[in-house]
Amino acid sequence: MKEEVRDIREIIREEMLMRDKILAVLRDGPKTVPEIAQALGCPSHEVMYWVMGMRKYGHVAETEEEDGYYKYRAVAGEGK
Amino acid sequence: MNYDVLVVGSGIGGMESALKLGDMGYKVLVVEKEPSVGGKMILLSKVFPTLDCASCISTPKMAATTHHPNIDVMIYSEVERIKRGRDGRFQVRVRKKPTFVNQALCTGCRQCEMTCNVAVPDQYNADMVARRAAYIAFPQAVPKKAVIEREGTSPCSFACPAGIKAHGYVALVRAGKYQEAFNLILETTPVIGSLGRACYAPCEGECTRGDLEGPLPIRKLKRFVADTYYREHAEPEHKPAGEVKDKKVAVVGSGPAGLTAAMHLARRGYRVKIFEAESRPGGMLRLAIPSYRLPKDVVDRDIKNVTALGVEIETGVRVEDPAGLKEQGFDAVFVATGTPGTRKLRVEGEDLDGVMTSLDFLRRVNLGEKISLEGKTVVVAGGGNVAVDSARVAVRLGARRVIVQYRRSRAEMPAHDWEIKGAEKEGVEFQYLSAPQKFIGENGKLTGIECIKMELGPPDAGGRRKPVAVKGSEYRLPADFVITAVGLAPATEQLAGRLELNQNGTISVNPETLQTSVPFVFAGGDVVTGPSMIVNAVAQGRRAAFFIDRYLRGEELEGTGYDYRMPAVDKQKVTGRQRSYRTLAPVPGREVTGVRAGDFTEIELPLTVEEARYSAGRCLDCGVCSECRQCVAACPAGAIDMTMRAEEVDVEASSVIVSTGFKLFDANLKPQYGYGKYKNVITGMQMDRLLAPTRPYNTVLRPHDGKVPDNIAFILCTGSRDCTVDNPLCSRVCCMYSVKQNQLIMGALPLADVTVYYIDIRAFSKGYEEFYQQASAMGANFIKGRVARIEEKEDGNLVLHYEDIDNGGKLSRAEHDLVVLSVGLLPNTGVFNLFDGDKLEADEFLYVKEVNEDVNPGQTSIDGVFVAGTASGAKDIPDSILHAGAAAAQAAAYVERIRMSK
Repeated sequence: MKEEVRDIREIIREEMLMRDKILAVLRDGPKTVPEIAQALGCPSHEVMYWVMGMRKYGHVAETEEEDGYYKYRAVAGEGK
Repeated sequence: MNYDVLVVGSGIGGMESALKLGDMGYKVLVVEKEPSVGGKMILLSKVFPTLDCASCISTPKMAATTHHPNIDVMIYSEVERIKRGRDGRFQVRVRKKPTFVNQALCTGCRQCEMTCNVAVPDQYNADMVARRAAYIAFPQAVPKKAVIEREGTSPCSFACPAGIKAHGYVALVRAGKYQEAFNLILETTPVIGSLGRACYAPCEGECTRGDLEGPLPIRKLKRFVADTYYREHAEPEHKPAGEVKDKKVAVVGSGPAGLTAAMHLARRGYRVKIFEAESRPGGMLRLAIPSYRLPKDVVDRDIKNVTALGVEIETGVRVEDPAGLKEQGFDAVFVATGTPGTRKLRVEGEDLDGVMTSLDFLRRVNLGEKISLEGKTVVVAGGGNVAVDSARVAVRLGARRVIVQYRRSRAEMPAHDWEIKGAEKEGVEFQYLSAPQKFIGENGKLTGIECIKMELGPPDAGGRRKPVAVKGSEYRLPADFVITAVGLAPATEQLAGRLELNQNGTISVNPETLQTSVPFVFAGGDVVTGPSMIVNAVAQGRRAAFFIDRYLRGEELEGTGYDYRMPAVDKQKVTGRQRSYRTLAPVPGREVTGVRAGDFTEIELPLTVEEARYSAGRCLDCGVCSECRQCVAACPAGAIDMTMRAEEVDVEASSVIVSTGFKLFDANLKPQYGYGKYKNVITGMQMDRLLAPTRPYNTVLRPHDGKVPDNIAFILCTGSRDCTVDNPLCSRVCCMYSVKQNQLIMGALPLADVTVYYIDIRAFSKGYEEFYQQASAMGANFIKGRVARIEEKEDGNLVLHYEDIDNGGKLSRAEHDLVVLSVGLLPNTGVFNLFDGDKLEADEFLYVKEVNEDVNPGQTSIDGVFVAGTASGAKDIPDSILHAGAAAAQAAAYVERIRMSK
């Protein structure tokens, strides 16, 4: 794969920018990381950082596994 | 403070030594650089070969260490220096890093984390997920208290004279929290919409992103924030302060300084009244800045931020004697009358009809007076921003030709380059190196200018090249209207004898407190500084309010800490945090083109929502914490304390135990394995985190795409027993932690295949061989062979090229969907810098040398200093604990020996 290698710090910093976009994508229902990546037009490994950061802070949660991939849905957020 | 033993580091070795010594009755100080005790062991999934939960073993020791009556623990602290004193005891200097959270108040509720707007890699999850700038290290942290990572004030925020937290509101815009961004700016000043348009933005000049592709449009982001808020809130939401004081403050002048001071004083509960000489409030915001740059409805809305607090504004009142306001019941006065006066050119004909000062011209236009320049030739004399503003207004009033005449060249012109370019686009002509000598008129009315050409002579006292008239170069310039724009001045003649004035007419004040020669009268803004930026006036208003409040409360004014900002963070350090940067081009500025007569439409187009968030997303989070203050608002315990600073603490100890642990091998140093480039190549520590209950993902997943892996490879001895990376040692643990992970994976993912590529399996300790055999029996496939290189496929799978030793040494290939590099251990060499005077010797592999390992384990080259755990060499956990016990016994014996010798 010939993808630009970006610094992890730069990718992670963008979580705050991408959060609303990911939540907008999930309005249609739970999605896997590759599905979210396709909707955003972003590399899936970058979406992993954002989705897992959002999961850690209670913005998304995993649902069922399907063909080796978990789907993630939007949730209200921890403490909300 | 005196201790028997100092223990440096609180991993399993340090905790064990401290607990043993504490139990023996010795007073122990443990110094830990992280926000929690526990070291690396607490981050592991389970321990081998028993598969006991690492947390279940660690956390009781962590709690026991921090609560032991004989042990003091300093977390988030670093030993800076250890020096033996004359009495033989060790003098220790410890630097307590500021946590910015009052540890006594913090309840560990995580509200600060949840609301924080800065995401950084979580080092406690091996950088596989984000944490926040405000964070609790990990769920089992002891103490479970938050810390805020702040490396200093971000350069943008530090550059703002008013102390507006630029980084803070940029971070809030990035997160889509526009109202919070507005409220953050409102903490400093009410004139948000005005600054968003007319500030010269010193913040942007210091933006670190400026060293890459260009600075963030911080000013325009402020405008975006103000516009968004004002669109939704035609009237302010905030109300007057709940508790109203009985003291009254008069503010003379309603410009940015006066409005800002009034807001801060009203918030503190004072009854504030502003006196304004003009018919409308706003000072220079209303009178001097053309409405195509700053629409007056924006000024009106900014002013509502002040009047909503109960501040009364009386216009058309000129206060000639500020001190006299005391007789009207005011307890303090703030004079912020700005620079409503203009300097004269001092050339003949300046009084002719058709010659006007720039401020008078702009003031009349801004107050709605009808001035038509239809078909006229207008000359503006001057080179500052006010001159350019006047020229562009003249264009809008229908002038046929507008000329800006400046006596130096363009390079010396004080007006901003973008202002000059904007004027040029609108058809304004610039005549450089030219000056008026005389205004010519007929019947008292201007008809033209007698000009002379100039050249630049030697620099003057200020370093600027002085313009010198070129003899015989006189020429005549026909003109119908002249605007002189050669500087603004305070109008303080009436104050002479009442307040102490400077020679230039500005009011003399204490620069720190802004107190004048009359104690209850303070002054600030342009009337003190001379003509300056709006944001400087805001800064003065804020400062004045702070000291007026202190004055009215009868507190000392001198020597108080008004500015609590940390120093600006080093920009090179910021850019050095990343190996690479994606190019993120600035959003180009857009202006309305095609100016028509009478059209004062705002020319600068606002950022769209997408542009604003994209622009804010370019922020590098220089200071790490953005100072957005969301944590302050969210913390139910009121524990956030941004004024906290580092402390240096000196202690004494009879003995020292060094338990500074190890470092993990950096897998980037084996580029043939593609770590950092191939997303599904991870390290053993990362796999341990994936297997831990407090894991970064919901289960073991591929970092590439979140797929549950089903064919996982382990490459043992990555970075150990490897002379190509200068580490010939066996790590002693990578075989067994990999075998542990094999078993845990096969438990978590029963369908997954696990393959281990090894040179040999070192199952040297009790139960290790059985543990290895057990993994094999569970289905782990052990292949004796060294992996030469890895290739990545389109789907993120990885092809390993290896030497298959058990099958005749043939070169083979195998495909896996996740590869774990079982990285080795390296010495932590930072420990050798701690000692001053005595030399802590290293062994040939740079671990702390045990000078008498067979007879006196833990003994180092310094008498009274001992080493515990992996600081002296790679060890597994049982060996570390055993070694730490030996070091504790050595330290205890040493303490007793010197006690007896006295």
